[in-house]
Amino acid sequence: MGKMRLKNKGIFFTFIAITIMTLFVIVFTPQAEISVQKDMQATGARISSIDDYVDDLETRYFETVLRATTYKAILSLIYYMNSTGSFIPDIDSAFSEVMLKGTINNVPIDSITNKKIMDNNTLTNWSSRITEAAKDTLNVNTTIKITNVTVFQTKPWNIDSSLTINFTVQSNVAEWRKTSAITATISLEGLHDPYYLVNTNKAYTNRIKKSSVEFNQWNIAKTREHLRNGTYVYWQSPEAPSFLMRFTNTMTNSSCCGIESLVNPNMISPSDQRESYVDYLFWTHKFQNNCAQLYNITGLWDEFKYFKMDINHIVKYNITAQDAVKTC
Amino acid sequence: MLLKKRGYFFVLDAVLGLIVLVTGVVLITSSYINAPQPVQVELLSDDLLNFLSNTKIKDLNNPYAGIGGELWKQGEITDAENSLLQQAGEFYATNKPDTAEKFIQNVSKDIIPSQFRYEVWMNDIILYPKTPTAEHIKSKDGTGLLLTSKKITFGIVNKTTSNLWGPYNAEVFIWEK
Repeated sequence: MGKMRLKNKGIFFTFIAITIMTLFVIVFTPQAEISVQKDMQATGARISSIDDYVDDLETRYFETVLRATTYKAILSLIYYMNSTGSFIPDIDSAFSEVMLKGTINNVPIDSITNKKIMDNNTLTNWSSRITEAAKDTLNVNTTIKITNVTVFQTKPWNIDSSLTINFTVQSNVAEWRKTSAITATISLEGLHDPYYLVNTNKAYTNRIKKSSVEFNQWNIAKTREHLRNGTYVYWQSPEAPSFLMRFTNTMTNSSCCGIESLVNPNMISPSDQRESYVDYLFWTHKFQNNCAQLYNITGLWDEFKYFKMDINHIVKYNITAQDAVKTC
Repeated sequence: MLLKKRGYFFVLDAVLGLIVLVTGVVLITSSYINAPQPVQVELLSDDLLNFLSNTKIKDLNNPYAGIGGELWKQGEITDAENSLLQQAGEFYATNKPDTAEKFIQNVSKDIIPSQFRYEVWMNDIILYPKTPTAEHIKSKDGTGLLLTSKKITFGIVNKTTSNLWGPYNAEVFIWEK
């Protein structure tokens, strides 16, 4: 009876020991804990890297593509005007079509200009490239829908473009849906002025270059240099059109961005015309029948014979009476 | 006599139980110590890639790669708005692998602690180190934990024509020596 009791106690202690060990093993098994941690870290890292990609898509990738394609589209439109010799009726729709499809009136613009600029370089082409690269690099499916592209100016020497996109990024762990408005700015300097190209049938080209003369520093010598270099000037409260308005022959004032240059009489035929030789006044014939306000700038005639200006501009350029003589 | 024998039995049982418990605790603890620490390496690979993609040339104070530095004076770097990753990509796109390698080495040398090794790849081509040493390859092959971070990169190769290069797959590998 006594032996039987002892045996029972032994089984009881062994049972308790096995239970405690099992609990220890279950609670402290490292494999299980690390596995869960690894899974969480892997998912977290993946979400973080795709989130960075979504952020880059909005703030960097499309900004860079928009900047490059805006420049190419504007350059293509200038060459298009050079080839056709005509103004563009609606710059916004033409710009949008060139940016998205590389066409104008459904004809590839490169085939008209004979320059390979937009071929494989439209926004649509670059959206596809980014989508493919994201699939290869991050194994995500990106769907990009471009809803709107516009071009405008807020400063005289820059062109701004704006792009609205809806995009979806799908991965095995999460999905991102976003609508973004992206803007890019390019400098005008170095671009051909389309107003000169069309009005002279390509005979006279003038590239945009900002004059370095301050508004209160003008005189006859600075005006000579300005005319010689074909530079452009922005006046406060301008009466001149902006660069983009020159594409559509809209020769009204642009309060933010009006710029003007002086027409070199040596570059046009005939050199002697009864006009103010300020570009937007010259080809709109504003002073053709108003010789009372038109002056021969004789102080420059040694180099620029027949150069004339209206009275408003004589004041702006600070040309004195000894260098200006009434035309009638 | 019976009581004495019982005493030995319980003492022996307690000692055996203690040995089992201590062995179990030691095994569990040592397995924790040996578990690799992936977080730091992973953070390092992300940190290096983020540093390269978020830092612009204009923000870099480096006599070799910064504004006014050696590469700037040589005309190899022309756009201060480029990120370091874009600049490396531009060197790759314009077929200047030696410049790319030296550039990456210069801008990243103080970023990664010395106990780690790393590589920078562009479109499955190794840019840094361009020619890995045998020791480097052995270290990479033998590491227990090698982590990578990836990003897409592209940029404007010529400001006058606005021609774009890329998009390339930029990849960073990091492991402990």
